[in-house]
Amino acid sequence: MRSTRTAAAVMTLLFAASALSACGSDSASSASGDGTKVYALLPQGTDQPYGTEYLKAMNAEAEKEGLDLTITNSQYDADKQASDCQVAVAAKPDLIILWPAVADTVRPCLERAKAAGIPVTVTNSDVKEEDKSLTAGYSGPDTYGQGAASAEIMCELADGKDINILQVEGLTGNTTAINRKAGFEETIDENCPNVKIIASQPGDWNKDDSQTVTSEMLTAAGAKNIQGIYAADDTMVAGAIDALKSQGLDVKKMLITSIGNTKLGNPLVVNGELDGTVFQSSAWDGQNAVTLAAKVLDGEEVDEDLFMPSVKVTEANASDAEVTPNW
Amino acid sequence: MSTPHGINFGEAPARTRVDQLRRTLGRRTEGRAVALLAVVLVVALVMEPLVFSAYPVTLSRVALVGLVALGLTVVILMGELDLSVASTVVLAGVMMAQTDNVALGVLLALGTGVAVGLVNAFFVVKVGINSFIATLGMLFVLKGLAIVISRSEPIPLENITFAIQFGLPIVGPLTPRIVIFVLAFVLLHLFLTRMRAGREFYAVGGNRQAARDAGIPVDRRLVTGFVMCSVIAAGAGAIDTLERTAADPTAGSTVLLSSFAAAIIGGVALTGGRGSILGTLIGAFSLGTLEVGLTLTGVQVDIQQIYIGGVLLLAVMTDPASLRAARSSLRTSLHGVRARSTDRGLT
Amino acid sequence: MNQLAESPTVAAPTAAEPRADGPSIAAKALLWAAERGIVVFTVVLILASVLFVDGFASAVNVADVFHRAAPIGIVAVGMTFVVISGNYLDLSVVAQVATGAVILIGVSNSHSIPIAILVALAVSVVYGLVNGVAVGYFKANAVIVTLSTTYIGLGLLRWLSGGSIFFGPRDGTIESFGDIKLGAVPISAIVLVVVALVLGFLLSRTNFGFVVRAFGSNKEATRLSGVNTPVVVLGAFLITSFAATIAGFVLAAYSNTAVSSMSDGYDFGALAAIIIGGTSVFGGKGSVLRTVLGVVFVSVLTNVLVLSGVGFGWQQVAIGSLIVLAVSVDALARKVSKK
Repeated sequence: MRSTRTAAAVMTLLFAASALSACGSDSASSASGDGTKVYALLPQGTDQPYGTEYLKAMNAEAEKEGLDLTITNSQYDADKQASDCQVAVAAKPDLIILWPAVADTVRPCLERAKAAGIPVTVTNSDVKEEDKSLTAGYSGPDTYGQGAASAEIMCELADGKDINILQVEGLTGNTTAINRKAGFEETIDENCPNVKIIASQPGDWNKDDSQTVTSEMLTAAGAKNIQGIYAADDTMVAGAIDALKSQGLDVKKMLITSIGNTKLGNPLVVNGELDGTVFQSSAWDGQNAVTLAAKVLDGEEVDEDLFMPSVKVTEANASDAEVTPNW
Repeated sequence: MSTPHGINFGEAPARTRVDQLRRTLGRRTEGRAVALLAVVLVVALVMEPLVFSAYPVTLSRVALVGLVALGLTVVILMGELDLSVASTVVLAGVMMAQTDNVALGVLLALGTGVAVGLVNAFFVVKVGINSFIATLGMLFVLKGLAIVISRSEPIPLENITFAIQFGLPIVGPLTPRIVIFVLAFVLLHLFLTRMRAGREFYAVGGNRQAARDAGIPVDRRLVTGFVMCSVIAAGAGAIDTLERTAADPTAGSTVLLSSFAAAIIGGVALTGGRGSILGTLIGAFSLGTLEVGLTLTGVQVDIQQIYIGGVLLLAVMTDPASLRAARSSLRTSLHGVRARSTDRGLT
Repeated sequence: MNQLAESPTVAAPTAAEPRADGPSIAAKALLWAAERGIVVFTVVLILASVLFVDGFASAVNVADVFHRAAPIGIVAVGMTFVVISGNYLDLSVVAQVATGAVILIGVSNSHSIPIAILVALAVSVVYGLVNGVAVGYFKANAVIVTLSTTYIGLGLLRWLSGGSIFFGPRDGTIESFGDIKLGAVPISAIVLVVVALVLGFLLSRTNFGFVVRAFGSNKEATRLSGVNTPVVVLGAFLITSFAATIAGFVLAAYSNTAVSSMSDGYDFGALAAIIIGGTSVFGGKGSVLRTVLGVVFVSVLTNVLVLSGVGFGWQQVAIGSLIVLAVSVDALARKVSKK
């Protein structure tokens, strides 16, 4: 009995010691960057491919600017991000970079930071219009605009003909998914009502989920009634294209658009299977989040949003250097 | 503090105070949680004293992790489970945002909690399905309803000024969330240790047939327990919704597992009858402090995850009971090898 | 294995007034249906879908149903061992499937496919050992143990792999393997059938399977009868890990990509299928066949809902309701038969 207790105590202490030493070395390394302290509150990171490349660019740029970054990942849990925000404010950094998990929920965080005199810059997806006065600037893609741009490509391709298309959405409830869907659908309604979205299902940003739901939507609608597909990102469009192929359909005849121009999507544009996509550079996004933060820290007044250029990528420009995919 | 473990079988009088103390401690279920909390606090004190100087922040993380766990504990003590708590949190928030009036919204949220609790209890008590399954079904149903009602988009609250006010301190540095969390803890603790109905929860979880034979209204206690758990989850949903100024149909992805972790780390046995609200509180404190401390160190998020997992794993494996079990398992295994050569062995 | 006692922890039906004439024919029929509830449900659902849902019976759609069923089905078939052994579930399958997939594609890109498979299987053994030793030998709670290994596993995977998305080479071996079909049946479904046959044999025809079930229904009696019970639990977790890694391979081959978040939701998804199949969550009772039927049922249902244009929210509501309904029929039948 006593020996088990002792054993438990010893193991606990050993663990505590190892934790101490590990933490010790970590904080020693971060303390060496004696410069400016910045918290980055993100809703994704190495759990998503986009976040992975975003982080690399962000860390590289922070190193260059001499910023001491502390990064959190709330995994799109708005409550966790709100709590991360409290922790960040308590740590009194010189600036907070915020990528809202859910745009509707960040007002309290912005107010709290303002009360503590900490400037907040926003990255990747913007806060709501009425909250913009609480932020020091925005850099990132115009997610609504991306959906709209993809719709414009689709409208051009349809060229006034009446066609039916399928939509593969992003993860249910996700802010980017909601904005892209709204941008796409509203632009289609406005510019080319001849294009009809006859079925829509979430593909959860996954290739395999997208492949299955696309195939099922094709079955439901009858493959011969479908002339096009829009997917909210390149990973999902790759799945949709595989679904078309496995049903023996001619992919090149279909009108297919998406958003991303990733390492998975770009080759599909080059070989003509994907008709058009909208470039979203994770590296640009991560890098400019820090660039903007550094500007604000230097006391520069940032008046305008720093939008990632929504470059449309089609077969004509897919091999150009400026649209080289980075994830 | 009284020991809330069902019926006392009249033990022999303790010879010395030390003996008595040892006996009392031996019956407590919070040992593991206390040890873990001690380690976490010591490490935090050395590495990140900010965990303490900014204690309202740490407390509000603890309250975020812990409130649902408190309600869940009540159900687990009765030997049942509620896997639908996270979905209840989400649905209650969505219901709350259906009206512009905050008071009415809170009522709607709590009403949702009552309804969910009654449905859960109906399946468990009346139909006789295992609660693990009934509430697993409800996990999907309630999440689906939240998505359907909200059209899978966040719903901003109308009265945003009040919502922001709600996130600010009211008593000293404490926000309403922390105050409600503390109140819920005190009330549940008193209920489970001081009130007859509450103490009977332990009997229901410990030995249900014996509880029936002793004339305890087991079914009614089960209904009470499920409703308490769901109402607390719904309350947490309302608090979350107010604090973030919008209902979010995708919220709560981490609620279910972290509240389970808090309760189990706190020594609450999933088989029922053993554990305490205090244990869950300490479990939530350990987890909340650990998370805040790790965030402050600025360690890469993946490595933080590895730490949290490692701490949890060590905490359950270094429990004295676990170590005893490991020793006896090892002994059986060694004997087993000998026995197997003669006996029919395992394939 | 009807002689195995029902788990005592299952909530006892409320006492009902006894009837002298024993169970009626209707009650017997209900009980018969409840015992085979999942078979009846699945057959009815498939027949109704064939009759009323356009395109359901097409070869393409059958393949889609198999695609839905295969990866999660392989996970569920393995996890059935953990559930039957009375250890609730293995949450870490989420991490295991993703790890299997990422290693298969990541390592085969940098080294070769055989090495990738070996590495992935070695990692699956580590998962099984850690989970199995902690739960079997240390008697630690399976929910917390597997939650911890999920955190550790995903953390390590993302840290070591850098978190990127991995693609196999176009028209490479992995992609070609994923594209294999026997008629309308994709290779993933064939793997599911093989895994189910092997594990079904293991569970119902071998000594090990017998002991797993016996342990699940009465731990103390099994221990007292001289069985080395910690090894049984360890075995159950090893089988689950093995199956989850195979599922990772199948998932990766299907889409020729791997990313650490691709198996989100497989924990409770697999558990739901196991329970709908009729395996008791408190151990002892259940079979691999039941789990396969549960998976087929959920996959057909989801497929039909998508074909009918039903949104994601209602899909969740339908699946949840069916879990409760399937088990309610069973519980009610038991009640009636006891009257």
